[in-house]
Amino acid sequence: MIRIVDYGVGNIQAFLNMFKRLGIEAARARTADELNDATRLILPGVGAFDTAMALLNQSGMRPRLEELVQGRQMPVIGICVGMQMLADGSDEGEQPGLGWVPGRVKAFATHPQSQDLPMPHMGWNDLKIRPGHELFADFEPEPRFYFLHSYYFDAANKADVAATAEYGLSFDCIVSRGHIHGVQCHPEKSHHFGAQLLKNFALN
Amino acid sequence: MSNDNSYKPYRICSRCIMDTSDPNIRFDVHGLCDYCNNYDTTIDPNWQTDERGAAKLSALADTIREAGKGKDFDCIIGLSGGLDSSYAAFVAKEKMGLRPLLFHVDAGWNTDQAVGNIEKLVDGLGLDLYTDVVNWEAVKRMQVAFLRAGIPDQDLVQDAAFFSGLYRFARQYKIKHIITGSNFSTECCREPEEWGGYLGIDKRLFGDIWARCGDGRPNDEFPLVDILVYKIWYQKVLGMTVHHPLNLVPYVKKDAEDELGRLYGWQRFQHKHHESRFTRFYEDYWLPRKFGFHKRRAHFSSLIMTGQLTREAALERIAKPEMDEHFLTQEFEYVAHKLDLTVDDLQHIFAAPNKTFRDYKNKRDLIGFGANAMRKLGLEKRFFR
Amino acid sequence: MLRPRIIPCLLVHKGGLVKTQGFKAPKYVGDPINAVKIFNEKESDELMVLDIDATVNKVEPNYALIAKLAAECRMPLCYGGGVTTAEQASRIIDLGVEKVSVSAAALADPSLLTRMAEAIGRQSVVAVLDIRKKTGLFSGKGYELCTHNAKTAHKLDPIAFAQQLQAVGAGEIVLNSIDRDGEMNGYDLELARQMRAALKVPLTVLGGAGSLDDMQALITACGVVGAAAGSLFVFKGPYRAVLISYPAQAQKDSMCRTALAAHRSR
Repeated sequence: MIRIVDYGVGNIQAFLNMFKRLGIEAARARTADELNDATRLILPGVGAFDTAMALLNQSGMRPRLEELVQGRQMPVIGICVGMQMLADGSDEGEQPGLGWVPGRVKAFATHPQSQDLPMPHMGWNDLKIRPGHELFADFEPEPRFYFLHSYYFDAANKADVAATAEYGLSFDCIVSRGHIHGVQCHPEKSHHFGAQLLKNFALN
Repeated sequence: MSNDNSYKPYRICSRCIMDTSDPNIRFDVHGLCDYCNNYDTTIDPNWQTDERGAAKLSALADTIREAGKGKDFDCIIGLSGGLDSSYAAFVAKEKMGLRPLLFHVDAGWNTDQAVGNIEKLVDGLGLDLYTDVVNWEAVKRMQVAFLRAGIPDQDLVQDAAFFSGLYRFARQYKIKHIITGSNFSTECCREPEEWGGYLGIDKRLFGDIWARCGDGRPNDEFPLVDILVYKIWYQKVLGMTVHHPLNLVPYVKKDAEDELGRLYGWQRFQHKHHESRFTRFYEDYWLPRKFGFHKRRAHFSSLIMTGQLTREAALERIAKPEMDEHFLTQEFEYVAHKLDLTVDDLQHIFAAPNKTFRDYKNKRDLIGFGANAMRKLGLEKRFFR
Repeated sequence: MLRPRIIPCLLVHKGGLVKTQGFKAPKYVGDPINAVKIFNEKESDELMVLDIDATVNKVEPNYALIAKLAAECRMPLCYGGGVTTAEQASRIIDLGVEKVSVSAAALADPSLLTRMAEAIGRQSVVAVLDIRKKTGLFSGKGYELCTHNAKTAHKLDPIAFAQQLQAVGAGEIVLNSIDRDGEMNGYDLELARQMRAALKVPLTVLGGAGSLDDMQALITACGVVGAAAGSLFVFKGPYRAVLISYPAQAQKDSMCRTALAAHRSR
């Protein structure tokens, strides 16, 4: 069962709708117990980094998630702020991140190449993907996804980067460290491109 | 003919695939059904698409063009986005040199493909479009009443909206000539009445179903042109005529789809009537599973009779639904929600006892009598469809 | 690179879709759910749905309808109409909607945007400004802001006000031209240009698009921007026949490429 971690932020319903369309079983998890039957995890997130981390810490699910992901190597995909939470920390706030993928979340507004662009980064943008990665199986030649964010993930080890996108600068938009994945864009709102990615995560 | 509860052994035609799921079917000594016999004796001898058809087409074109001189358009074509009406529009413009107005009735169930096909035809043929958007609330409430009525004739609601809209518009703008995509090539085997192919729009039937299964409030917004009003008033008094040019030209389904695809980017559907989301659901799920009627039998049988499909291929296709289970489950939910029902509500309606139009007030006999009388007097060869 | 967004904008009135001209004379256009489903199948970039009754009638947003619409969207959905509190905004987001827009409520109390941003994140807060050329005899030249389906005018400079809303929490500004609404004669490019130059957040322009060429002109003038349209995607031909359309991906890409190149070389 794919469990979507419902700790208070994130478009859970959109993921449920998407998996329903794909005919893949998925449900939300609000408590540690509801994670018992999980085989894969989705960590959504929108809004401010600190708010998201605080809510996750208060949700009572964090210890179980650590155990599942770090201990049992359960595949997990963080979406948008959910991806940012995988980092060690964010320039947006004070809270430490999960630290599951080494890196830091930075602001477009402080990077010389992007600081003059409209914020947030909003709209459809092209992905430059690492070919052969299981997340990108059956992808079309020019994949594009919907983005909506003002901060971006800067991975410490570029070997963890599975895809980049450009907004002023070329930034890490998909990270993949073994069974831990993070996606800055919104596959649940990216039509067939997103559906394929979620399908690949669920089945591969 | 009343419901006959005695056991009838299963029998299927030796040429087409119509079978005893049509309770009124008859077979001759060769095992041929009456649809096949009707085709051999009545349809085929009178159906010419060679130079005789071309001559008739040309004459018809002249008549319509003459009648339309000085007007913005000379005829009107009801367009659904499906193959028959699309090809009819193509024939009217490109082969007959007419200036049709393309008329589309939006009853709220358009598929993206239907809408896309209409757009491509409008642009490709360089014709004007008029859309009659039926009040969705009215359609929705009437459709729910019909579903609750438990009869197989669920497409009557959309049909009523479509034909009432078309004929009202034609009357308002004094358009005498209406072109439809009805044709022998894919419809020579008619859908049996028992399978929900009720003959025309019967105001009495609608009225009684609404009274007994509606939500209690009036539904005046629902468009309804009674078939007898249409036949007598519109046709005889106002002089409206309905033409079927697809019977005057060679019309092979696959070739027609290829041609429209090549010329306009028109996209073929998986099956007939799939341009409406409701009709697709009704014919692929509701009708087969609630009543055991498979309209595809009639559609495929038409293609078999006209040499466009082999019996083997038809048998293979009819063995499973057009759409897969997952899709049908999702469509069930979509249809329920769109009709403001829960999935449970729709399940209950689905499981309720089956009825027929005979359980409601109707003037079927009058319509049948009228049609028969007209046919005997040579006034009319086909029903309004 | 980031692409311009081409956005159908649907108006809901008494539960049905309508199109207006100059914000008047709503013409019935059909069932919202089927329309949204079709736009989803056509893979629209985003979708905006505005309930034009809710604010005027002072009612809550129609959550049941919003849930049904969101269920059909595999692209971002922005909902607006009758939102006056951050709680309502949160509730709407929970139904699967990406962005919530406010208009009258923001004018009445701009701090609402701050509360909304705290609740759902600034990226999901959209301010819609209905703007028209000043009509009063002694108002002088320029534009004025309106609310309540253009029945009420406010003495505020739209651009300065947009900047104010940006400062207090708006993550996107939608510029809606009342004069151009339903005319299909092109966007107000001058106003769009000025607004784009004055803002840091993304801008979407609505009102007047009659063809893809109009959208191309907008993008040429403003660069990457949201080009929203109602009539263009819902009507066809001289009889304004209701027919839902949306450009194919190749057509959209080609138009945007040309427009952005022209923008860069201005």
